[in-house]
Amino acid sequence: MSAPLILAVPSKGRLQQDAAALFKRAGLALTSGGTRSYRGRIEALPTVEIAYLSAPEIAREIAGGSVHAGITGRDQVAESADRKADLTLALGFGRCDVVVAVPEPWVDVETMEDLDDVAASFRPTHGRRLTVATKYINITRRFFAGHGIADYRIVESLGATEGAPASGAADLIVDITSTGATLRANGLKTLSDGLILASEAHLVASKKMRWTADQEKTYAAVVAKLSAVV
Amino acid sequence: MSRRPTHSERDKGVPTQPYLALRALFADAGYSFVDLPIVYPASVFVELAGEDLRRQLYLTSADGGEELALRPDFTIPVTQHHLASGAAKRKAGYAYIGPVFRVRPGESGEFMQAGVESFGRADRVAADADMLKLAFATAALFGVKKPAVRIGDSALFAALLDALDLTPPWRERLARAFGDTPRLRKFIASANRQPPAPRSELEDATLEEVKTAVAGKFAATGLGEAGGRTADEIAARFIAKEELARGIPKRAASALTAFLKISGTPAKALAALRTLAKDEKLALSGALDTFAKRNDAFAAHGIRLDGLTFDADFGRRLDYYTGFVFEFPSAANGPTIGGGRYDRMTALIPRSSRGTGSNVAVPAVGFAVWLDRIGKGGPK
Repeated sequence: MSAPLILAVPSKGRLQQDAAALFKRAGLALTSGGTRSYRGRIEALPTVEIAYLSAPEIAREIAGGSVHAGITGRDQVAESADRKADLTLALGFGRCDVVVAVPEPWVDVETMEDLDDVAASFRPTHGRRLTVATKYINITRRFFAGHGIADYRIVESLGATEGAPASGAADLIVDITSTGATLRANGLKTLSDGLILASEAHLVASKKMRWTADQEKTYAAVVAKLSAVV
Repeated sequence: MSRRPTHSERDKGVPTQPYLALRALFADAGYSFVDLPIVYPASVFVELAGEDLRRQLYLTSADGGEELALRPDFTIPVTQHHLASGAAKRKAGYAYIGPVFRVRPGESGEFMQAGVESFGRADRVAADADMLKLAFATAALFGVKKPAVRIGDSALFAALLDALDLTPPWRERLARAFGDTPRLRKFIASANRQPPAPRSELEDATLEEVKTAVAGKFAATGLGEAGGRTADEIAARFIAKEELARGIPKRAASALTAFLKISGTPAKALAALRTLAKDEKLALSGALDTFAKRNDAFAAHGIRLDGLTFDADFGRRLDYYTGFVFEFPSAANGPTIGGGRYDRMTALIPRSSRGTGSNVAVPAVGFAVWLDRIGKGGPK
């Protein structure tokens, strides 16, 4: 038998549940997976091998070319697989916005232009650069550069980014939000033009991975089945 | 792919044949070669050049977790070396040659640079001219004949901003955008447009009222001011934003637009600048006299003024550059020689990095040669 199509699927959380439900609706129910097994299959499509990974890992593996395709957020693709992946199909779940959020007490800051002014005058006053906590380093750099903002530093955040201003780890954040409730609970507000990206889960294909004709055919079958039910 | 050998110049035993003539040129001009480390705390570069540079850095970690970087240029390391090895204001001239490291898509991330840096010369105009003359000699060494050199002057733009009727926040915005002409144009174009009314309930509040409101928000959200922006700072800027809303006066906007378009030989540019100053009644005589003196110094140094193009909008978007800048063009992906005056850098080098705590602005001017761009075969 020829080499299978390797399809990466989220291994935990809401994304995992939503993805599993989607495949089931499409008649492509996934086997095993769950918490212990990292590999799975699709009973109805034996030429597919499922790799269970976290959403950020899926984007990185797609960029690195070790899986053919996968399900991950557009935010993760923009962060780790920019120009190395094709967004094949929007899946209608996992919706969230990547936004710039600043402390609510910053009443003088409503726009990115305000933030540019603040960033530029921050170092002379405070002896250090303004800091931005985020998991989205590349997205943040691109967006800030697009707004001409240079006087800041990124502090890579590994855990709860929204807590960074409260803990003093950073002055502001770039993070995802769906309802804004978490930001508000942490005393943060989004800037009026601070929406960087509206994300949702996508089926994503790797441009780096080597595809055989059989694998492309298998992928087309998966796409056809999934697009019928999203 | 053919590449120059990229051994470290610190390996004393290795001959560096291709650059003997270049070494002799810099040494004869009075610059002493320095051997500098390749690995530095990343913070030195990020603090000075900003987050945008960081994506070009090759990063690694020290044992204790400190972020380290391979040097992306020599100017910052040489300045550090100058500060660490004696009084900041003393006169000194350094030369260097060696590999630098930047992530460059489609190009090798390790490449050779050479250059000189001069500190402490109060005769800035003569120092600028010396530097440009040495850059021409360097280009000639690589067989570059009659290069079309571009020059600029951020001090002139700063003088223009001072001479115009601008509010401080607008002055700062425009100064910061210098070197990014599309952005400057956008600012100038939007200047007369009334921005949307603030969504805030604090409209028409006094400074004290805003301060109280901000302090209240700090208390309510549990966010501290410690180490970050204070209520005083936020309130002051909130009030100052009214000045931004008033925009740039029409006269100032048209003067800025006319200024940014000025381009030509130094003589033609000077004439155009004088006309602009006269027509718009701008107090630019100090900056224009310096400009004229520098042109005279170029001529006295045997530099052909017709080979220079002054672009009024040419500047570097790094806040340590303070005046004269120049660039030798190349066919492809960037200048072959880039230089300029960076009097503000010594003051910006973080105190903690070497414990020198200079925080003193020292006259500084220099240039770097992109050896990977200027000539594949090395100097003749």
